[in-house]
Amino acid sequence: MLDVPALGHGIGLRAEHYADVLAAPPPVDWFEVISDNFMVPGGNPRRVLRAVRERWPIVLHGVSLSLGATDPLDARYLDELAALAREVEPAIVSDHLCWGSHGGAYAHDLLPLPFTEEALAHVVERVLRVQDRLKRRILVENVSSYVAFTQSTMAEHEFLAALAERADCGLLLDVNNVFVSAHNHGFDARAFIDAIPRGRVGQFHLAGHSQLGELLLDTHDHPVRDEVWALYRHAVARFGAVPTLIEWDDKLPALARVVEESRRAKAVAAEVLSRG
Amino acid sequence: MADGPALAELQRRFFELVTGPEGVGRELAKRGLPEHALAALIADDAHASAVERLDVYANMYFFRILDVLRADYPKLAAVVGDAAFHDLATGYLQAHPSRHPSLRYVGASLPGFVAAHALSEGRPWLGELAALEWARVDVFDRADADVLAREALAALAPERFAELPLAPVPACALVAAAFAVEDTWRAVEAGAAPEPPAPAADGHAVLVWRRGVVVHHRAVERDERRALELLLPGTTFGGLCAALGEALGSEQGAAELAARCLAQWLADELLARPSLP
Repeated sequence: MLDVPALGHGIGLRAEHYADVLAAPPPVDWFEVISDNFMVPGGNPRRVLRAVRERWPIVLHGVSLSLGATDPLDARYLDELAALAREVEPAIVSDHLCWGSHGGAYAHDLLPLPFTEEALAHVVERVLRVQDRLKRRILVENVSSYVAFTQSTMAEHEFLAALAERADCGLLLDVNNVFVSAHNHGFDARAFIDAIPRGRVGQFHLAGHSQLGELLLDTHDHPVRDEVWALYRHAVARFGAVPTLIEWDDKLPALARVVEESRRAKAVAAEVLSRG
Repeated sequence: MADGPALAELQRRFFELVTGPEGVGRELAKRGLPEHALAALIADDAHASAVERLDVYANMYFFRILDVLRADYPKLAAVVGDAAFHDLATGYLQAHPSRHPSLRYVGASLPGFVAAHALSEGRPWLGELAALEWARVDVFDRADADVLAREALAALAPERFAELPLAPVPACALVAAAFAVEDTWRAVEAGAAPEPPAPAADGHAVLVWRRGVVVHHRAVERDERRALELLLPGTTFGGLCAALGEALGSEQGAAELAARCLAQWLADELLARPSLP
């Protein structure tokens, strides 16, 4: 079972909001930062991170561990992540169930995996090595996907549950990603959530998505959609008080609007939990 | 289930198709493969074909990196225009696929690439403008350092001045430029039409450095450039005077130049605080 820190509701720390965050501390419980953006030697990003850390808990969320790639794990990246974690003392460290590089070249994207025994064994081994290096459990996030591989032998939720069990890691349940992938691949989003084991989910993500033809895209450029709020209620009812993040990256509105979305998530969770 | 390629082979095929310059359909055609060849790999359904689905990744790959290059090279993009910059990025990614997990470094080789690109015909200064922009990106998040303050020098006995270690803050770069590209940079920054820069005097360069958290740059001419080239690897004030003396053939002139540079660098907050002997 995972120790889920009682963090409450947070938002992502984005460069466009640095000045506002430092000028007037917004009413959020914590900040999530994209680890990669702060794995730099110095300058303004590190200064802001230090200032924010003095006031709030920080969650480190990475995009480049490339847990599913067949390229070797990047030892330098891991060292830099470990150093950042030592400095920041984050409440949570997470990355994605995906791959992002091949032959030493990077796509800078969260590319999907086939859900096979081979891929599972591969990711389990790499998560174990990462946890060993960081000396802590990590959370692994389900990504939005636009393709499904014909060779998959299990459902995504089965893959995630087996990964959590075999690597003894936690899961970051991105509720919007469940919704987007469910639409794109025609599975039942609620059944997906019901199949994720209790006690393994250490964080939720909520975000907005957009539509491209028949597909939904995980673009983080809108408010959370009503259908995703409904799914969030379902997830809170199943997993309880789990730290929840609002992700907003593109078409980023004023800080106050992102904070408002986080307050809404807090209110929704409180209402669901009060019903027992 | 269906048998399929091993994970590494699947990733190779996927990666090649989504990072190719022409979109998944054409990349398949270039390999002599019909679109339905993807069906062995990727599920087709009523929502979208396998090619359309894979194209989502191909587009995200290109446009995500294009956005980063535009953010890193706004002046270059303004000078060449959107369409040409788009094509430049396409060629650049083929020649220099990203080799670092962070997007922060994806544009590192663009100055050299654009300097050798057809866009530079008749505009031999494009690479230098790009080099200035990259230097600004690069010093933005280099290591912090305490700065050598004028007051610290006041406490130094005159006879110990020669042994004063001199080194720049880590967030510092010198961009050699045969053209006054800083003028083009400033014009675009001010929202004016980008004018071609004038050829610069011999020895012209642009010094880029970070003061606190803000990146600055300024043009330097031959004498200061010479002094900066001595400063960059680290020296002492005495070493700087001696080397400048050899270069200028005048001890007196060298001492005056070194003193002038030191005063300017202190005002710029360009020097790192050494541990004084």
